[in-house]
Amino acid sequence: MIGRRIAVTGMGVVTPLGNSLAELSANLGAGKSAVRRLAPSLAARLRSPIGAPVDFDATPRFDPPRLRMLDRVSQLALEATGQAVSHSGIDFRAEDLERCGVFVGSGMGGATTTDEGYQALYAEGSDRIKPYTVLAAMTSAAASWIGIDHGITGPNITFSTACSSSAVAIGEAALRIAAGAADVMIAGGAEAPLTFGVLRAWEAMRTLAAENLADPSASCRPFSLNRSGLVLGEGAAFTILEDWNHALARGATIHAELSGYGLTCDAVHITRPTVMGQAGAMRAALRSAGLDPNSIGYINAHGTATVQNDATETEAIKTVFGDDAYRVPISSTKSMHGHLLGAAGALEFIITVLSLREHLVPPTLHLDVADPACDLDYVAAGPRRVAPFRAAMSNSFAFGGTNAVLIAEGRQT
Amino acid sequence: MSTLTALQEILIKDYAIPRERLMPDALLSSLGVDSLGMLELMFKIEDRFDLKIPGDPPTGLATVADVVAYVDSLITAGPGRHGPS
Repeated sequence: MIGRRIAVTGMGVVTPLGNSLAELSANLGAGKSAVRRLAPSLAARLRSPIGAPVDFDATPRFDPPRLRMLDRVSQLALEATGQAVSHSGIDFRAEDLERCGVFVGSGMGGATTTDEGYQALYAEGSDRIKPYTVLAAMTSAAASWIGIDHGITGPNITFSTACSSSAVAIGEAALRIAAGAADVMIAGGAEAPLTFGVLRAWEAMRTLAAENLADPSASCRPFSLNRSGLVLGEGAAFTILEDWNHALARGATIHAELSGYGLTCDAVHITRPTVMGQAGAMRAALRSAGLDPNSIGYINAHGTATVQNDATETEAIKTVFGDDAYRVPISSTKSMHGHLLGAAGALEFIITVLSLREHLVPPTLHLDVADPACDLDYVAAGPRRVAPFRAAMSNSFAFGGTNAVLIAEGRQT
Repeated sequence: MSTLTALQEILIKDYAIPRERLMPDALLSSLGVDSLGMLELMFKIEDRFDLKIPGDPPTGLATVADVVAYVDSLITAGPGRHGPS
């Protein structure tokens, strides 16, 4: 990246695979799927009654007056950022707070609140919509609350580019620091789409996976010939990004360097991805990191398990990596945690950093039937211990065509 | 049950305010009930007291006792309505 180097000094997660880095790491290493049949109240009217929910009770975490203003998406975001801030050991009281910022990715914002409001107005015929509806539902609410929580007065922006939202938030935050416009950024994403209205809308697009009746947890099958679509998940994932010298000066633990960020737009079709757009983003990320494809030891794929994405992404990786495409381990962890939409890029970037740090590549679960259009190494047999490697790539693509690719490198002094 | 007791029960149950803070002269704003919280409280009052609140509540409702007096005035004025059960 041109300019100042970016240190990843903190990470926090609330995910279907656990509500701490330790839990997430253990479940990835064990190759566990969090996909399951949803509660009967949701499942009853869905053709695809599966999802990847988070086990998180907000009641003990927030004061009641505040809780009434927080949609689930903000609750998850605040919990994950709280973890990331403590993990980084940063004390914002000692910082120039106008040089700190909050960048958040979210696709749908306060979807639960919107859904409940419409339920009252249209289904119940009531005029009683909650007075907090706008404040809880607005897509920028989570970012605002994070800023309030830590008193951060620098740039506070919400990015909404559908499924690449939080990869964009992290990449743009890194650019701010690289350019010298900020020193510390809280960057990540949050999404809470497991409400009936949202689930039914995704179902109507015919993009959701069919339930595997014998084993609902095996319903998401990226890169497998019998893949049938994505499984929606919820959660939040946040990083603390810091100017390298700022991190060193305060004696912070640096977990990785964010060295590459590539951003392109397909600009062709609202849903259909392009090889050129995806490959362009990967190339741009490599270029900004100053790396050749042979330095990449792991790719966390976008890997949604839709027919279109997985074949296109495979082709795009081949276009960029050439023969190296067959060497590099690639996995879609969405097979385990589902598709967190606006939070997916941040969660998968954190998983990429964990993998780089622990030399452990998480698997693509449920890849049972080889697809001739997807013939790379997807780490299907289970988690794989590998030799230490220099850098790892995390791909995030999206409806609407905004492709964001992040590259993390191991700690170097 | 008195109007005060019924209102206190709402505030204890839905707003998690400790009973000892719910004295009649307690300011709602100091209990975490802001202007939007007050509007939300009116929905709960309508349900609890089987009332229809016309438009927005008066702006002068500051204390627990103010809300009690307002609810009592609605109960008295509302033909066919009954008080808290």
